[in-house]
Amino acid sequence: MFARYLLLLVLTVIAVLMSAPSIMTVFTSLKPATELGDPAWFPPLAPTFEHYVRVWTEGGFGKYFGNTVLISAIDAVVMIFIASMAAYAMVFIDFPGKLLLKFVFLLGLMIPVTAIILPLYSTVRSFGLINSHLGVILADLALAVSVFVFMFTSYFVGIPKALHEAARIDGASEFQIYRRVVLPISAPVIVTTGLLEFMWSWNDLLLRLLLLPREDMRTLSVGLLNFQGTQTRDITALSAGTVIMAVPVVALFLIFQRHFVRGMTSGAVK
Amino acid sequence: MANLELKNVHKSYGAVEVLKDINLSIRDGEFVVFVGPSGCGKSTLLRMIAGLEDITSGELRIDGALSNKLTPKQRNIAMVFQSYALYPQMTVAENMGFSLSLEKTPKAEISRKVMAAAEALKLEPLLERKPGQLSGGQRQRVAIGRAIVRSPRLFLLDEPLSNLDAALRSETRVEISELHQRLATTMIYVTHDQVEAMTMADRIVVLNGGRIEQVGSPMELYNNPASEFVASFIGSPKMNLISGGAARAFGAETVGIRPEHMIINVDDPTWQAKVTLVERLGHNTIVYARVPEIGLFTVSLDGQHDFDLGATVGLAPRVDRIHRFDAAGAPIGR
Repeated sequence: MFARYLLLLVLTVIAVLMSAPSIMTVFTSLKPATELGDPAWFPPLAPTFEHYVRVWTEGGFGKYFGNTVLISAIDAVVMIFIASMAAYAMVFIDFPGKLLLKFVFLLGLMIPVTAIILPLYSTVRSFGLINSHLGVILADLALAVSVFVFMFTSYFVGIPKALHEAARIDGASEFQIYRRVVLPISAPVIVTTGLLEFMWSWNDLLLRLLLLPREDMRTLSVGLLNFQGTQTRDITALSAGTVIMAVPVVALFLIFQRHFVRGMTSGAVK
Repeated sequence: MANLELKNVHKSYGAVEVLKDINLSIRDGEFVVFVGPSGCGKSTLLRMIAGLEDITSGELRIDGALSNKLTPKQRNIAMVFQSYALYPQMTVAENMGFSLSLEKTPKAEISRKVMAAAEALKLEPLLERKPGQLSGGQRQRVAIGRAIVRSPRLFLLDEPLSNLDAALRSETRVEISELHQRLATTMIYVTHDQVEAMTMADRIVVLNGGRIEQVGSPMELYNNPASEFVASFIGSPKMNLISGGAARAFGAETVGIRPEHMIINVDDPTWQAKVTLVERLGHNTIVYARVPEIGLFTVSLDGQHDFDLGATVGLAPRVDRIHRFDAAGAPIGR
């Protein structure tokens, strides 16, 4: 019994430590100027949404939010298709150079973004895609595709080969098998890929800072820097901006968490 | 409906040759069973006919047309897999109609054909269920239904009963035989169970080590096995095989005697044996008796008999039913 209470206590402490920054950020974002002198863990006594309105209008978050949603949504949807198609070919089709391609994908997993950021910048610039959403989307996809090809591959190898063969006997083309047999039974890995890519894209700062310098192209993560000067910072605006940025991702995780957990653990145990 | 011809067909994976010089011709409407021990190449041969495996060399002709390079679809065959391979996200009706929907067949016609197949296989109450909600036997029937909906010219069945329990297996065996008689379509059936082969086949193809050992009707194989392997593989209980001095007494390297061709408690026994086990099946009795220095004999007797374990009995073969084989396992004329 004692062990049980001890465990509960430890878990409570961890939960408080984990959630405290988020809770304090929400508190700060709702505090009127008169309460800013109170400690951060004090709840707002007269909550106000004025900072949200300010951030959304004056801070340009309305525009940034639209940009971020556009980039992240396209990233997620396109990633689901290209990674699943590549993984389908790797698992179900025999073709020359398959091993080489596997090696290329493995290489993609091993190279960190920061190491190739300068050549990436000049490549995107040479295509004339600086300050265009397309440039960021293409860079995002190229940098993360390896991870998701491996994720899809490990899921697809668990699908019985006989299912693919039965569909071939039924007269389905490879694309029909992919679309009508394999994808419909791959919901967990599709959701996981969509969520992870959406979240990575949503939270990324480095690529957006470099590839989208123009104000009207900015995303939320870059927008947050507006409230952070070298000497001062607008703590209430920063908090409200952070909450605005966090809410969609949290909501998506809550909606899809069941599939997400299944996708992350699939392939671990046969 | 189709006839099928295999000419000098070989299959190898790298340096490993799994099928050697396969020559076989299957007539229109015939029910042919490929039988053999695990690893003999029977499933690989079936998959080559289906178009799921490449043919390394040789010719496959379906209705006279060279079909080596045709896709499974172009061959117009249907296959029932050992694991059923039903699409888990589709209902029974969708599973059965999938191939027709790929051909863009009108919905009304798909539904008519699915209903007809479902009626024949008693699947109507299950049409809206998903495969996960079905028992093994029901899944098997859906897999067969999916095959017949397409009206293919050739049916291929790869050990379709191996995942069913004994009672359901014999029931489904009868259903498949009836289905063959009703559809009169060429069927090729793979199994390692010689009882299935004997009860269902018009002709049996016995494979061993990647080669065809013998092709013939069940009774031809039973009565005139072309090799020691076929003699020992076909028949249940297995044929008694003796070798060495005891066999040479009959003018052969190996002698085979079917259990029902053994006589027990004769006045003039060839061997004296000790009873080690008696299996009473009601309609017949199987006696296992050990002859010192020769081995264990199986004797099948009609009707019900009593033997004490450990009792000494006299055994003799029916001399006119003895199978004689030379050192290479080839038969010596009776």
